Amino acid sequence: MYGWIWRHLPGPLVVRLFTAIALIITIVAVLLFVVFPWLEPQLPFNDVSV
Amino acid sequence: MGSRQRQRTSALVVVVRTFGELMITLGIVVLLFVVYTLYVTDVIAAKKQDSINDELEQSWTGPVAEQPSQPKKQAKRPAKPQQGSGFARIYIPSFGTDFQFVIVEGVGSDELEVGPGHYPDTALPGQPGNVGIAGHRIGKGAPFNDLDKLNSCDAIVLETETDFFVYRVMPMPEEVADWNTVKRRDPRCARVPSLRQPNQPEGGPYSRTVGRRIVTPDRGDAVAPVPYRPDNPLPKAQQASLVTLTTCHPEYGNSERMIVHGALVNQVPKQQAGSYQTLLGMIGEPV
Repeated sequence: MYGWIWRHLPGPLVVRLFTAIALIITIVAVLLFVVFPWLEPQLPFNDVSV
Repeated sequence: MGSRQRQRTSALVVVVRTFGELMITLGIVVLLFVVYTLYVTDVIAAKKQDSINDELEQSWTGPVAEQPSQPKKQAKRPAKPQQGSGFARIYIPSFGTDFQFVIVEGVGSDELEVGPGHYPDTALPGQPGNVGIAGHRIGKGAPFNDLDKLNSCDAIVLETETDFFVYRVMPMPEEVADWNTVKRRDPRCARVPSLRQPNQPEGGPYSRTVGRRIVTPDRGDAVAPVPYRPDNPLPKAQQASLVTLTTCHPEYGNSERMIVHGALVNQVPKQQAGSYQTLLGMIGEPV
């Protein structure tokens, strides 16, 4: 999977490297700012009131 | 034949390798989620807590500074705080002198993200009845992370615009029976009541109120004016002034709730105490 992505990134090595890093940052940002804030309230230890 | 064999092998290798890569990726994502829940939410909550603390500070100091010559207001009834607004502070000295949180009105997830939340319709600090406060045990600042470590007679201080109200954790279940003997171990226990009335059946209306209990999540009556008595057997004037802290239990679960009850032992006007640090000295807590 990662090999396949790497082979399909365009441009010389330096450009590919930057594209790869940008991809990783984008995915982490989507996780941190969209997916996790939605997922986290469903965790059981948020129920603290009676 | 040989080349077909190689093709099949390499297809299998691709499948296995991709599966492995996905699994490793999933593992990293799960780890990232753990870091988010335990630490990133703390940072977000701390920011919200900071800004509501500033708002509260302003609302307390603002009007007073404008009219310094006004005569002392006669015991004005505390207004019902607005949903989501900060209206008091909670301190628990045994969690460290820097333990302080602004209490917000409401116990929804939006309020609890900012700080410990006050159950609407429960008493306000200092009033007779029961001040109900819920707080997170894990993540989002985890104000009530250490409720399981509280001992009887540990102080829970509530600060309002005018006063410090010093509550102390009530006797634990195993201490209730001979509280009058047990309490002598510590001078701070002197005014902590067990609220038991030996001449009444089962010890009176507060027979189920102890320092710490684990209850099922449906026990909304833990924050009733007389805890665990939804029938409310006492008129307001006869109710003891209590504070009740609730959080999740077990630590990472939601099958139960941990409940801590404290009783009001002291009211110190802020004009007299000045700061929380001074108050700690006055009530015999290590500064």
